[in-house]
Amino acid sequence: MKKFNIYTVVFSLLVLGGCSDFLETESLSNSTVDNYYKTPEQAFNALVGCYDGVQALWSSGVSFPVASEVLSDNAFGGTGYSDGYGYQMLDEFDKTRSPSDLNLFNNNWIAYYKAIYRCNILLQKLDAVEWGTEADLRNIYEAEARFLRAYMYFDMVRLWGSVPLLTEPSVENVPQSSPQEVYAQIAEDLKFASENLEAKSYASQPSSERGHATKWAAESLIGRVYLYYTGYYGASDLAGVVSKAQALAYLEDVIANSGHGLVETYANLWPAASGTDYAKEDNKETVFAIKYTYTSDYTTGNDDGNKWLVMLGMRNYSSYPYGKGWGGVTVNPNLWNVYTSTDTRKVASIISIEDENIAFDQQKDQREYTGYYNKKYTPMINLNGESVSAELASELGLNSDFQISQFQDYVVIRYADVLLMAAELGSSNAQNYFDQVRQRAYGANFSSLPVNQENLLNERRLEFAFEGIRYWDLLRQGVDVAANAIAETTQVLNGGVETTKTITAAKIQATKGLQQIPNTQVSLSNGVLKQNAGWE
Amino acid sequence: MKDAASAAIYGSQAANGVVLITTKKGKAGHAQVTFDSYYGVQNVARKVDMLNAKEYAIIANEAAVNSGSSPIYSQHVIDSLGSAGTNWMDEMFAKDAVTQNYSIGVTGGSENSVYSTSLSYLSQAGIVGGKSLSNYERYNFRFNSEHKLFKNILTIGQNLNVAFTNNNGIGVGNQYNNSLRGAFQTTPLLKNDPLDTAGLYNQANPYYQMVYNNQNRNKNQRVIGNIYFEVEPISKLKFRSSLGIDYYNYDGQSYKPEYKLSIYAFNTNPQVTQSMSKSQTILWDNLLSYSFTLGSQHKFDAMLGTSMYQYGGSSLSATKTGSVFSDVEHAWVSNGTSNTATATGVAYDPDHRMSFFGRLNYNFEETYLLNATFRADGSSKFAKGNQWGYFPSVSAGWVMTNEAFMDNTSGWLNSLKLRASWGQVGSQNVSAFQYQSPITFTNTYYIFGGTEGTLTPGAYPSRLSNTNLKWETSEQTDIGFDAAFLNGKFNVTLDWYMKTNKNWLIKAPVLATAGAEAPYINGGGVKNKGVELALAYNNSIGELNYRVSVNGAYNKNTVSHIPNADGIIHGQTNQIYDNSTEFNRAANGYPIGYFWGYKTAGIFQNEQEVQSYTSAEGTLLQPSAKPGDVRYVDVTGDGAITEADKTMIGNPNPDYTFGFSIGADYKGFDFSIQASGVAGNQIVQSYRNPASKYGNYTSEILDRWHGEGTSNRMPRVTETNENWTNFSDLYIHNGDYLRINNVTLGYDLKRVIKQNFLTQCRLYVSALNLFTFTKYNGMDPEVGYGTDGFTSGVDVGYYPRPRTYMVGLNVKF
Repeated sequence: MKKFNIYTVVFSLLVLGGCSDFLETESLSNSTVDNYYKTPEQAFNALVGCYDGVQALWSSGVSFPVASEVLSDNAFGGTGYSDGYGYQMLDEFDKTRSPSDLNLFNNNWIAYYKAIYRCNILLQKLDAVEWGTEADLRNIYEAEARFLRAYMYFDMVRLWGSVPLLTEPSVENVPQSSPQEVYAQIAEDLKFASENLEAKSYASQPSSERGHATKWAAESLIGRVYLYYTGYYGASDLAGVVSKAQALAYLEDVIANSGHGLVETYANLWPAASGTDYAKEDNKETVFAIKYTYTSDYTTGNDDGNKWLVMLGMRNYSSYPYGKGWGGVTVNPNLWNVYTSTDTRKVASIISIEDENIAFDQQKDQREYTGYYNKKYTPMINLNGESVSAELASELGLNSDFQISQFQDYVVIRYADVLLMAAELGSSNAQNYFDQVRQRAYGANFSSLPVNQENLLNERRLEFAFEGIRYWDLLRQGVDVAANAIAETTQVLNGGVETTKTITAAKIQATKGLQQIPNTQVSLSNGVLKQNAGWE
Repeated sequence: MKDAASAAIYGSQAANGVVLITTKKGKAGHAQVTFDSYYGVQNVARKVDMLNAKEYAIIANEAAVNSGSSPIYSQHVIDSLGSAGTNWMDEMFAKDAVTQNYSIGVTGGSENSVYSTSLSYLSQAGIVGGKSLSNYERYNFRFNSEHKLFKNILTIGQNLNVAFTNNNGIGVGNQYNNSLRGAFQTTPLLKNDPLDTAGLYNQANPYYQMVYNNQNRNKNQRVIGNIYFEVEPISKLKFRSSLGIDYYNYDGQSYKPEYKLSIYAFNTNPQVTQSMSKSQTILWDNLLSYSFTLGSQHKFDAMLGTSMYQYGGSSLSATKTGSVFSDVEHAWVSNGTSNTATATGVAYDPDHRMSFFGRLNYNFEETYLLNATFRADGSSKFAKGNQWGYFPSVSAGWVMTNEAFMDNTSGWLNSLKLRASWGQVGSQNVSAFQYQSPITFTNTYYIFGGTEGTLTPGAYPSRLSNTNLKWETSEQTDIGFDAAFLNGKFNVTLDWYMKTNKNWLIKAPVLATAGAEAPYINGGGVKNKGVELALAYNNSIGELNYRVSVNGAYNKNTVSHIPNADGIIHGQTNQIYDNSTEFNRAANGYPIGYFWGYKTAGIFQNEQEVQSYTSAEGTLLQPSAKPGDVRYVDVTGDGAITEADKTMIGNPNPDYTFGFSIGADYKGFDFSIQASGVAGNQIVQSYRNPASKYGNYTSEILDRWHGEGTSNRMPRVTETNENWTNFSDLYIHNGDYLRINNVTLGYDLKRVIKQNFLTQCRLYVSALNLFTFTKYNGMDPEVGYGTDGFTSGVDVGYYPRPRTYMVGLNVKF
């Protein structure tokens, strides 16, 4: 058996040599959660990843600004005559309007938690970064990530009432937190951001940094959160974290020190209303915006565009400078009528098919046609009739079209809002702030109105139409107030045929103004997530 | 090969059974030439009966009226429609799609060298869209040889197989990547005209959608081969080492024209795409075997072996928008007109495996048989500590008829062998690096500042990690016997088996709150338990020889030990129609992939039935239902129809599988029939999107409820389709079928030609998939659908098996 032994030895050597290394392989990029987040550059990239997550929140599903307008008394659901009834379901707070939409917000729910996960993991890893000489960046990154997290939870908690609150990554089946817990976290995050971001005035911020969360954005958002929470929940302060006086102080700080101000002409805030006079993105009135650009590409799947803008354009019809879209969010004629003729915001905010002599001919394909579309957020075409954004994308050789290339930023908070919020919170300059906003709107026709809650809220509707604000301003006055303001029976054209449209107050009250939690998430949680009333 | 003990030695690929492909070897002696060919035409065996234009208009009107709208079509329009309109089924299917095969082979050799070589050509056009859209063509070359050296001490040999494949195809996947599905959804009122750019109700022409979106050409070349040697230095001691490669090279091109078929279905940028990829696998196997006998009765075969596997590769793809030429033949990146190309390239995750194994066979007088194997398999896909899996197996056999006490039965029982085996095999069929949470940079950008198009790159973790991921183990126990009666004319095989897949590898959906993609997990166990029986009989009557065999199996599938808190692996959403919710799941105690939804109990015939449908406490169960709506069952009895009432409403796994074959030959004629089928399973049929009010219907809708007493199964039609938006047993159909797979009649012309050099010259005609006995009303009850781990039994417009008629020729000389 001697030979046998020799063979055994040779055989074993052949095979075992190097065997222990053989099963060790490395992935393509070899970057993993465990070995990334080590250098300040990597921390910065991870922070950009958080912004990217925010940019993608509404890539599909229903965007927060669009939903907010559909839910409000500014607009109806609209969309195509043969489309599904999801927007009607939102508009009428009635799940039987679109029984197939059990998951209308599922993609958004997922996208919010994806972006929150990016923030949470960055926050968890910040102390492991070797900051070296750049130690000052640590708290700035933490502040920005917490600002974004707070921003997202504020959207979610308004839409859904109670949501699982994760401040660190978890794969557990996390139940919903009470709204108070969520708001307390939002307030803490925003406070941290306002305390740790540099008090750098608008003018001194390098233009290449525009888009980052600033101290002023955090302070302004505290004002918005304060007003909504104390209003909707009837609380006397913001979840025990921010008092009324503190909220006002944050806003006054923005007014006194931020360097932000009103753009002189209201129409110049909006590209379609201003043409060449457009004040451009990141203008001094923009306190915080979610930024988009035209680099989306079907082939690579890159997604940097404003993909919800196309929902707002005129139904499959272009008329310079307005590009075609899918005709969602048809404007309620009541809103057009609320503006006085001397209010420059009327024509800056609304496209009137009749008044602008637009030869719109797609009534047959439009649901809930009213003759009015919003002008603030609309796709645009150039004089050759081509989509402005698609042209820019095609210059880059991208595989893109008007649906994904739109790049208009979503302006989350304007300075005008800061002024009106400060006035509402009882600033000693309330009348002045109120007048500033109205003076711009009425120009030579301005005449002062006394500043009070009712006038302020009316003014907010006119000032912020289609900016995703009105519905929440209604809801924070109480579900009943909102329900009565939104409920109506009116006539619209469905496929060109006059049809009665009814929104009932009872349906709004039954849902408390909250939205459906995606059925898929309820199923996945095996019932740990509780559906909102009116949506079971 | 089914039992674990025999599968064990084939290692980690064997968890789902082993199909052995024996390499064709030459034989010493005179050369033999074979020529085989067939030519056939394929057609769809059964189309789904959709509504014609008039029926559609009537139903659409009824839906509008039921939803409170005015009728869409006037009676005048309806009267004028007749049976006109587009039958999209007819438009999608090509007639007489050709399938053909020609192969020629030569084998031969001498005492010391044998060879086998062949050349073949195969082509098959698709029945959906025809050859220009879907075609498969393969050229195959094979050369095997083996040589004995040094007085048979050393044997060396090689196998080489080279295949060139050209193919182009259409989407046959889930509801979104499925060219055929459009034909079910589109109104028959739309004309099949590519110049109609408006569509109808924003529905696009499904035929031209298929044409425009499937302009592709794919070529690949694959070389599979090995070189081996075997030494036998002393008698019965053999060492064999084999080094093999599998090299795969692909290049493809595709063209997407500019088109507009509706306001939603359009492409404004023509694109040319060119892609390439290659991969290589190296496989090195070593086997040492020794046979010996102790005494004259105890025979042993021992074997030790190793196997090493290494896989890697890369791909590259580039796209340009705009094209100088508007066809797929010129779809090269250099013909694209945009000044930049979008390119992506990746390296495939490496896959390394290492195995050690041993086997011992013991045989006592061919009567008592024992076999034991043990393998250790290592895989690079798992984290250190979990890389190795250990898989033993044992089997025993007892040939009872060799025993003296069985002598008195030998008159009728020729052989009886009892068998028992138990064994485990491993499976590592997951993507690599699941134990890590990778950082993604792709498509991660934000724009800061006012210069549009300027991107700042970012990074984020895209997937969760599972550091505990380990081998899946398939454990099987099998007890059975093989018996032969009547001088071997009648054979019986019976098996009882239990196969359990432990630590099942599955990508289970996670809650959104987890924040990233789900990793693979070891998701519990799947148990299959059952009995298999096969009977075969052959005999002759004069020159007529005939064979009859029947087989049947009963199987029960149960899932257990799912590690999640709720004991459920949830199914995917958006699978069966737009916005579809979870409709199947794997849960402890239930069969895998069972259908989960609402139970229904007929249709509300009138308002009074709605009002009297109450819980025990008297609460109205479906307050918003109208006559003609479906009555859902309050399974929990809690007085409301909620998510909690969803329950098992169907099982995609058959209880029974069966088949038979009959064969006969007589004076040069041969005839055979083969059939197979299943019973006890259900199919989810979903051809229509309930989110769309204008989609066409199958003719089943003609039996809908449209007034008291008209139907108790098919609900009324409405524009919002509320009776179809909750997944319920309305979607469930029985999937039982018996299919006549193959009927062949042949005749050997050698009887006529009578040439000495000719061994065989058989001409035959065959019909494949000739007929299917089934109550299922879809195109094909044998639906294969699986975009995720456990989904099966779903028909969203599944590409049906064609019915093929062919003539063929086998020549041997």
